[in-house]
Amino acid sequence: MIYGKTFEALGKSLDYAIRRNDQIAANVANVDTPNYKAKDIAFKDILNEKLGSSLPAKRTHEKHLPFHTETHTYRTFKKKNLQYNHNGNNVDIDKEMANLAKNQIYYQGLVDRINGKFTDLQTVIRGGR
Amino acid sequence: MSIFTGFNASASALTAQRLRMDVVSSNLANSHTTRATVNAQGEYEPYRRKLVHMTPTKSFKSFLQRATDSNDVTQGVRVQRIVTDQTPFKMVYRPEHPDANENGYVEMPNIDPLKEMVDLMSATRSYEANITALNASKGMLMKTLEIGK
Repeated sequence: MIYGKTFEALGKSLDYAIRRNDQIAANVANVDTPNYKAKDIAFKDILNEKLGSSLPAKRTHEKHLPFHTETHTYRTFKKKNLQYNHNGNNVDIDKEMANLAKNQIYYQGLVDRINGKFTDLQTVIRGGR
Repeated sequence: MSIFTGFNASASALTAQRLRMDVVSSNLANSHTTRATVNAQGEYEPYRRKLVHMTPTKSFKSFLQRATDSNDVTQGVRVQRIVTDQTPFKMVYRPEHPDANENGYVEMPNIDPLKEMVDLMSATRSYEANITALNASKGMLMKTLEIGK
């Protein structure tokens, strides 16, 4: 396989970063909404590891279809136990803006890396010329 | 989920914050209006301060997505309604005013310019924050187009 695991990992990370950006945008949009609770995205498998809720299933033949057909690797969670404003809203705008900037850099890094991988492949295809 | 989810959330907030600014402008413009409405007794009433009431957007689509998808949906914001501030009017002693009562007092709108200015600044800052979020979404999507170039 010429693509390897890296492309898959990068792709999932891109997916996560886009979804996280959407969520941060929603939190910023609701910064003045009473009783709105901020939400964040976590990588699902990391969360599942912590919660121990994933049910592993073994395939007896490698050509069998995989049991896991989930496409999402992330999960949304609500920050319930924080109070930041008196109107029940708990969006910390400074934190959200910092996360936004962080997420952007993270995303650009991922795009850079995926492009690097494609360039590597191109070099191989051209035979090093 | 579309790729423009983040855009839509930010855009809805821009609309809501702009409306909030418009309401503040209306309040400031009418801070001396003594004949805004006519009450049940047929008497003129001063202008009442208006406030916006914001809620996260709840469309049929968002309920459907929540029911079918384990991932919670991203929500924008919308102005549910514009409410009037029910605090009493300010009584000002101005006997020469045409709307003064027999004791020489005039009912003035319940508008505090200080509160309005604070609200205006808050709306402006929120608007700017949403512009930043929108630009971040745009930057990311533009970067996506560079993959494989």
